[in-house]
Amino acid sequence: MTRAPAGLTSPAQARAILRADVTVAARIVAPLWPVETFIAVNPLGGLESVPFATALQVAGDVLGARGTCEEPTFRAMHRAGRIKDADLHQALARRLPVGLLSSVVRLGALRLTAMELLLADLVHGDPSPQRVRSAVTLSQRTDLPMAALVDAQTSKWCAAYIGADHIGWPMPGREAGLYRAWAQLAPLDRSLPRRVRRDLAGLPTRADDAALAALDRLGVEPAERQRYLRAHLAAQPGWAGHLRWRAEHHGDVDLTDYLAVRLSYEAALLNVGPGARRPRPAPTATPTTIAVSRATPEQPEEVARVQRLVEVLKAGPATTGQVAAGAEVLAQLPAAARTLVWLDAFEGHYRDRLLHLLTAAEAGLAPTEIGLRPSAQLVCCIDARSEGLRRHLEATGPYETFGFAGFFAAAIAYQDLAGGRPDVSCPVLVAPANRVEERAAPGTGAAAARRLAGLAAVAGAEAGFHEAKDDTLGPFALAEAAGWLAGPWAAAKTAFPAVAGRWRRAGHRLLAPTAPTTVSIEEGFTLDERVLLAQVALTMMGLTRGFARLVAFCGHGSTTSNNPYQAALDCGACGGHRGGPNARTAAAILNEPQVRTALAERGISVPHDTWFLAAEHDTATDRVTVLDGHQVPPSHQPDLHALTTNLAKAGRALAAERCTDLPGASAARPGRAAAREAVRRSGDWAQVYPEWGLAGNAAFIIGPRAMTAPLDLDRRVFLHSYDPAIDPGGTALETILTAPMVVAQWINAQYYFSTVDPVTFGAGTKTIHNPIGGIGVLAGPGGDLQTGLPRQSVAVGDRPFHEPMRLLTAIRAPRHRIDQIIDQNPALRHLFDHGWVTLAASEHPADPWQRRTPTGWQPWTPDGLPDSRAARRTLAQSPHPRPISGADFR
Amino acid sequence: MNRDALTPMVKIETVVAGRDAPAVRELIAAAGATGYTSVSGVSGLGHHGPHQGRLLFNDHDTLTLLMTVVPDEQADALIYGLRTLLGASSGVMFVSDTYVSRPEYFQ
Repeated sequence: MTRAPAGLTSPAQARAILRADVTVAARIVAPLWPVETFIAVNPLGGLESVPFATALQVAGDVLGARGTCEEPTFRAMHRAGRIKDADLHQALARRLPVGLLSSVVRLGALRLTAMELLLADLVHGDPSPQRVRSAVTLSQRTDLPMAALVDAQTSKWCAAYIGADHIGWPMPGREAGLYRAWAQLAPLDRSLPRRVRRDLAGLPTRADDAALAALDRLGVEPAERQRYLRAHLAAQPGWAGHLRWRAEHHGDVDLTDYLAVRLSYEAALLNVGPGARRPRPAPTATPTTIAVSRATPEQPEEVARVQRLVEVLKAGPATTGQVAAGAEVLAQLPAAARTLVWLDAFEGHYRDRLLHLLTAAEAGLAPTEIGLRPSAQLVCCIDARSEGLRRHLEATGPYETFGFAGFFAAAIAYQDLAGGRPDVSCPVLVAPANRVEERAAPGTGAAAARRLAGLAAVAGAEAGFHEAKDDTLGPFALAEAAGWLAGPWAAAKTAFPAVAGRWRRAGHRLLAPTAPTTVSIEEGFTLDERVLLAQVALTMMGLTRGFARLVAFCGHGSTTSNNPYQAALDCGACGGHRGGPNARTAAAILNEPQVRTALAERGISVPHDTWFLAAEHDTATDRVTVLDGHQVPPSHQPDLHALTTNLAKAGRALAAERCTDLPGASAARPGRAAAREAVRRSGDWAQVYPEWGLAGNAAFIIGPRAMTAPLDLDRRVFLHSYDPAIDPGGTALETILTAPMVVAQWINAQYYFSTVDPVTFGAGTKTIHNPIGGIGVLAGPGGDLQTGLPRQSVAVGDRPFHEPMRLLTAIRAPRHRIDQIIDQNPALRHLFDHGWVTLAASEHPADPWQRRTPTGWQPWTPDGLPDSRAARRTLAQSPHPRPISGADFR
Repeated sequence: MNRDALTPMVKIETVVAGRDAPAVRELIAAAGATGYTSVSGVSGLGHHGPHQGRLLFNDHDTLTLLMTVVPDEQADALIYGLRTLLGASSGVMFVSDTYVSRPEYFQ
């Protein structure tokens, strides 16, 4: 690290270095999107450039976070058979040299291999010491009430500043920025002692100068500054994360402002610095652990672990030499690293079975009948929930399905018929390139006008209601005027949610009846852009020939009630919005004659009788709605009728399947009753489990549907269609790996960390959530913004529903092509080579799976390990694999 | 070419990951620079191997070239800030003398 010599930096240089320090320190907090467009992110995304294990150490040190399940949890899964000894053997073999593992040690009367000794230590060893947060602020170390006051005061002003977008009483002076507005108002805050107010009244006008002055008062040396700033950011990662997002997307605030507020409060409240009451104590503490092991200064940890095993295994008296030899073996796996072996074994159990089943299922497939045209083709989002819809639709008849990121290559800003602020409907990795508007279909102006008038009336009533609620005296008048209606309505919504939902929808239809509309693709895109979109979409998913008469792009969204986390259930590829507009855009473009002509010139001939259709899957109700059905030509209406009938059938079957997992839904419900139950939950404003979202997600498969078609993957796998034969240069695969897979990894990491440490990385229970405008939720009346997913998204009570595993990406493509793509994309190198994502590949259906490792590709399961032989034998005995159920993976 | 009529300035160029570009822009603005040029999706070969250029659906993980020109008295502060940032990130910085014909644009 290069720093200016002490005392030689100018003010400008000191400010610049401080801002850079803030940027580096801020990597410990992930950007937190507003909850109204919730985006799943890896909470440790700023640490992806270091190995997973290192990132967990940093997170433990700075955030006090747990990075894996605890050992007792893993051991319980081992006792229950979810993790087998063979899984642990393989995990150890991936971590330690085979030569070491096969060496023999003696303990008393026992003769054990190193593998057996390590396994015994994993299963019976004393729990490893829990690492506690060591990067703390001065107030956290010396005066906890003051630390809490720093948090409370900062939260209060952040809410006032950020929340001003959504309330009618803005923070005075807000236009000057967070720090300056706060610096004007804080000295007037009579909740603070007079001395503190006087202190705050003398702050510099610039945030960076205030932060530097406070750091100096707190005694933070330049070399310790990044660590100290991290500790302050980690104190309230919700506000810090949201301000980081806002700095990067709005630019009206930055983290230097935020830290200047926190540091100034801390210095003033602790009354430190020149002329102050307190001396300046050293600001940092050394890392500490809660010591629960038997290790002592005289007895190394490994010796204590061996002695524990001597007792547990009833080995009898062991000599000093035997204990030392055992300790030498255990030293290869520090107790603190045991959970990483458990995690690897836990993941391996699922992954081994998944890959073996993929191989067996593909080998057992009947050859495709040449020339048979599918009844229709359905292109769904890669979202794991789509796997269920695809599977059930394929079971109804000769339908072919594909997986593609749910924005269907249309990175758009979408404005619906009612106008207003356009939705950014694309992955957050890109900016929207095109603007698309919903317009009245030709000749339907009157219907559109009626709908618009109805929407305006509904919006006006809702706005008036909310304004009256937010006004100082309005709520009293509102209660008098509308209380007689609101009370019974609330009672109806509570007691009869399904009926109330039907009434509400009927009322909405009556006031604002639907009108036929179109999307404005010709104004939003040039012809070249439309052709490129069409070509990219079809090539990436491997659909360049064999088109059906109907090809439906099926986006998805979720309808829930009273749910601040609604966007977390919508389409991640559409920036937390419903995917219908993107499906409509892609379908409209592919129906254009000019686009078809240009595609034919590029080698993709779409038959003249193929019609592209848009649809939307509601993942809460499992109903699929056809969009723009009025544009479907009469010649295709019979095809459409058959498709919608079978989609309804598939939706009912999927609802029944989901009801087996949803708390409170009867597992024995037949299809129609299950469908009604799903709809009832969707409209129930007291329902905290409307659907499970992406809970359970564990893998991302890139390849043709033939790899997965016979399998029930239990809605746990992202499926991206890909045909390596039409992508010799790897361009399509590179796009899949650098965009959809990256988004999937963010989702996977969000679910993972929200499950393993819900206190640090999760959003707490929904039952006490207190939304602030559209920006986030608090747990109760104040405090930090909640990050991550609510508890009810990953668990039932204390029992996790989501199985926290890192993502497995399995690709059907030549390995040299994959390597080439990874080599030229550092972000992929970090994910795959640092243990954030595991990568498997097989070039042809009969090829064994290979694992990418830091030393090159290796067979997925090394020969000589018992589980691999057993699994292969079992599958080989079954030429026609039995239907695989989701239970196979749990 | 005669440079007597031109004004000497300092040109600072950085190549950083797209995710770090907002931080560099913030440093440039905080240092008092009046503007910058940004080119996203640049490709090349560097210390950590080859880097792909523009990706179809990911601006986040491609490299961005940011270039600014500042008067000499503002340059040191920005250089200190950027070196601190690059001390903890991948990326490179190039500093060179340059000349401009309209100095008022840069002050």
